[in-house]
Amino acid sequence: MIRWLGGFAGFVVDWFAACALKAPPPGRCMEEAYRIGVRSLPVLLTISIFVGTNLCLQGYNAFVPLGGQRLVGMFVALAGIRELAPIIAAAMVASKAGTEMASQIAVMKTREQIDALEVMAVNPLWWLVTPRLYGIMLVMPALTVISIFTTVTASYFTATIQLGLNGAVFLEFARNATSGFDLMTGVIKGFLFGIVICFVSTYCGFASKKGPEGVGQATNAAVVISSVVCVSLNYLVSQVLYG
Amino acid sequence: MASKLRSMLPGSLPAGSRDDDKPPIVFDHVCKAFGALTVLDDVSLTFARGQTTAVIGPSGTGKSVLLKHIVGLLHPDSGSVHVLGIDMSRAKHTEVYRVRKRLGMLFQDGALFDSLCVGENIAFPLQQHRPDLSAREKRERVDHVLEMVELPGLYDRATSALSGGQRKRVGLARAIVNEPEIVLFDEPNSGLDPMTSDAIDALIHSMKEQLGITFVVISHDIVGTINVADRIAMLYQGKLIANGTTAEVVRSEHPILRRFLGRNLILPEHGDLTDPRLPGVP
Repeated sequence: MIRWLGGFAGFVVDWFAACALKAPPPGRCMEEAYRIGVRSLPVLLTISIFVGTNLCLQGYNAFVPLGGQRLVGMFVALAGIRELAPIIAAAMVASKAGTEMASQIAVMKTREQIDALEVMAVNPLWWLVTPRLYGIMLVMPALTVISIFTTVTASYFTATIQLGLNGAVFLEFARNATSGFDLMTGVIKGFLFGIVICFVSTYCGFASKKGPEGVGQATNAAVVISSVVCVSLNYLVSQVLYG
Repeated sequence: MASKLRSMLPGSLPAGSRDDDKPPIVFDHVCKAFGALTVLDDVSLTFARGQTTAVIGPSGTGKSVLLKHIVGLLHPDSGSVHVLGIDMSRAKHTEVYRVRKRLGMLFQDGALFDSLCVGENIAFPLQQHRPDLSAREKRERVDHVLEMVELPGLYDRATSALSGGQRKRVGLARAIVNEPEIVLFDEPNSGLDPMTSDAIDALIHSMKEQLGITFVVISHDIVGTINVADRIAMLYQGKLIANGTTAEVVRSEHPILRRFLGRNLILPEHGDLTDPRLPGVP
């Protein structure tokens, strides 16, 4: 664990030292942004819809016995916008794009393609990490906003169509409970989660053992560590902003 | 010398002030160990400019480690490795990268990038380091090296559609496209059938004749090595046990060398052909 943390810290420092001030490889950031954004979108939308429906159902079940079904909108808005949607976006991107990053780089390592980059005098951190980092920084806030709107919309339709609640009341309570600051918080969280997912996943690829077992371990570690770090970071950010 | 290649390729730079007198690669009392395992044990070796030097030896004897010292991917525990006048273990990162721009390397499996087509793979070093070349000049140069490796017209082919021999040829084309002064070959025949191996050997020989640059070949295929090498060095259990011209090494009476060469060159009429062990090797 300490060894992994030390290696990870060294990896991030190396990237900042070698690449932070260097222009990214031309054209590759948008390519990565497209790959991360578009490929993660279907699964993110699906999960966000069902998180929204369940959030509404559970809120309804909790508040109806207390006579507070009007509070469902507020509950959905607070939990969905501030906490669940950003963390769902992070989990989906970690499981889709993060695993792809880790496995691609681990396979490249196994096939000596990373050595080939070095021998051709191309810094592998610059070529492999920089475009992925800038790409994910670009799309993660957008994916988080999409997840927020999908979650709340799914909740709204569950509340009005399935549970028979008043839509205007649902939206009014949701609007009163939240503000633009909450949306901005979600965007900031998404941005930070994106950075974490990229660095963790690419490091897992670079630090992998050669061979199929190493690729599998790197892929597994990328999604597990990214998810754990993002959930922990989510708590810290919420504590700082709302605590 | 390397100027031959420069004059052959489109958009070539004029011959620079490169020091042609000094050996391009010098190993000076190099030791390298991984934990308790000593892989290179006081190896001193000079690679002659414009010649093909083969480093042979059984598997796991330190040949690839030696190659990685040349390109600066590994550093010696003691001793030094000078490449093109630069001490690779003490040089700054930028200096190491400057040396690497003057090298080309063919990896065992080609190490081609799966996301790029054949032509893009070959053009990769030019895209990174030759902003002075126009897109047309780069394309012409890629087409030219594709012809040199006898794969004309394969620019747009996906690397996944290549055979093992074709991957090696494309890797070789990528290694020479940026006019290197030294080309390194890591087991150019590994994983290939005998006919394809012969074709790769012939290609290396032809490249040597055409380009006249310094080649370093790491191999355990002694027949192919004798075909392409001007000089042979043999590593055995991390030590350099032979170093000389091909003729000298082939005639050497060193018992391990004789055993190694004999098994590769002459098939015994009787005995166990499946036993690849050398004397003293566990």
